[in-house]
Amino acid sequence: MIRLAFRNLAGRPLRVALTVAGLAVAMAVLVCLSAFGQGYRRALGSELDRMGLQLMLVPLGCPYDAAARVLKGRTLENSLPESALKTAQADPAVAVAAPLLMAAVPRPRENRTDMWVGLDEAALQLKSWWRVKDGDRWFRDPDSVILGSEAAVIEMRAVGDKLYSPEAGQTLRVSGVLERSGTSDDSLFFVPLVTAQKMFAQPGRLTAIAIRLRDPGQLREVTERLQRIPGAQVVTLTEMMGTFLNLVGAVRTLVTAIAIVAITTAGLGVFNTLLAAVLERATELSLMRAIGASRLQVFALITTESILLTAVGAACGIALAVVPGRLIENLVKQFIPFAPTESLLSLTPPVVLQSLALALTLGVIAGIYPAWRASRLHPADAAKME
Amino acid sequence: MLRKFGFPTIAVTLIVVLAAWWTRISLSLSLETPSELKTSRIEAAPMCPWREPDADLRAFFPEATRYETETRILSGLRVELADRLGRMPTAEENALHLYRVFREQEPIGTILIRRVKGEYGAMEIVLAVSQNAQVRGVRLQRSREPESVANIIERPSWLNAFQGKEVQDKWVLGLNIPEVPDEARTSAKAIVDGVRSLLILLDTAGNPNAITTRSHHP
Repeated sequence: MIRLAFRNLAGRPLRVALTVAGLAVAMAVLVCLSAFGQGYRRALGSELDRMGLQLMLVPLGCPYDAAARVLKGRTLENSLPESALKTAQADPAVAVAAPLLMAAVPRPRENRTDMWVGLDEAALQLKSWWRVKDGDRWFRDPDSVILGSEAAVIEMRAVGDKLYSPEAGQTLRVSGVLERSGTSDDSLFFVPLVTAQKMFAQPGRLTAIAIRLRDPGQLREVTERLQRIPGAQVVTLTEMMGTFLNLVGAVRTLVTAIAIVAITTAGLGVFNTLLAAVLERATELSLMRAIGASRLQVFALITTESILLTAVGAACGIALAVVPGRLIENLVKQFIPFAPTESLLSLTPPVVLQSLALALTLGVIAGIYPAWRASRLHPADAAKME
Repeated sequence: MLRKFGFPTIAVTLIVVLAAWWTRISLSLSLETPSELKTSRIEAAPMCPWREPDADLRAFFPEATRYETETRILSGLRVELADRLGRMPTAEENALHLYRVFREQEPIGTILIRRVKGEYGAMEIVLAVSQNAQVRGVRLQRSREPESVANIIERPSWLNAFQGKEVQDKWVLGLNIPEVPDEARTSAKAIVDGVRSLLILLDTAGNPNAITTRSHHP
């Protein structure tokens, strides 16, 4: 039966190829969407987990924008007083409170911005994944600088070299160069917190405080306490993750609707192809009935053709999803908030199986009417048509 | 029926083909970046852009009407380069990016850009070379040096000392390039070495074994 169905399809290569192509595109879009949804959730979760913190204390303003800016190494317009750090550190539920001061030094002639980040030793507990390529893992003295891998290459600096900041009039000595991490750290200049405050005339001020709790179960209580710090607001990373997922989810719903339209159109294409084939092959099908094929066998033959057609289309679509999936990922990463650095496209076996199942269901549904029409042909029609 | 159904599908197929082509380009670009970063060493900085072409052309080649970008692949000439430079060529020296300057159709010189390791950060040199392979001018388009050093190495009287020099000249600070105070010596030497290396690369790029690619800029 399958061989016969194959032969029937192979007899109309152009029509079948076009149908398969339409189906493949629709399936590729659907597979990409499913894979992207899962991948974004996983990548965002692992990126936040890797940071090892649950809260960000940021100045008043849009909290999500503030937290995203800090996490991506961008500066905030407002700042926190250092007293906020002391309050946070004094909270019994806080295990680590790491202050950050960030300063952006635009270099319009070079079409780039130098990002300086002031840290104290508490940051090391949160950046446990920091790997040093050369030199030390921490600052040797207040005039030390640790460079992200890309910053070191651009500035042609190695451990022991001097680095001058013309804007701050400060000469620093490179004490370490980080391994490439694929994060925003790669292009940053890290200096001790006190040095950063001095360099950028922000004594006693902070851009943000990253907080890890002793027990993440106390998140709600701690958030309420820290929220009372004047001029500060608390952003929990789970809130951030939820907000980002909601934003992305809204876009995803819209695109899913488009994908459903594409799939429906592709299903109609399969229906059209099969119906045309049944009408063209009416004589052949009647003859089959005349030589003993039952209605059920004819019905099964057309349904098999339909399933084969959609299965091939789905397989091509999944293969196609791998290539444009990367393109879509590159485009999407530019627009979504706090895009994780790892791949967003998670083409897992469940995603592939779900897509295949959908395609096969579509094949069965699209084939029902043509198969029914074919099964209704009478053996005597063969003689009439002859 | 085929016609009715076929046209949209052909359109979709065309879109898929175009998307695949576009993806191939974007993938090839994105694949180049990590490999560059992986292989980059501290002495092999990434390609340095020419930041102010109009101002530099006005300063060095006021008669210029246009320029062309040209890339000469020198990886096949590494032995010759190593011999002339007195050291192994760096990864970035496998290719030389030239800006050929023209007055209408007549070539009048070349601009070369190079990032060198200054004492306090990377410095970017703009080197203008005339058609007879003599230095027409040198400018620093970017540096992180403190004012006390920058004032010395960016002083016109010091940079003008490069004018008229050729690749076969001696390139020794304090001999035929004016000496500078100690505090600026490291950065000044980096500039002298950078200019000499560029002239050697330019001279070697004239070798017929070097592969050339071009693009035009009005």
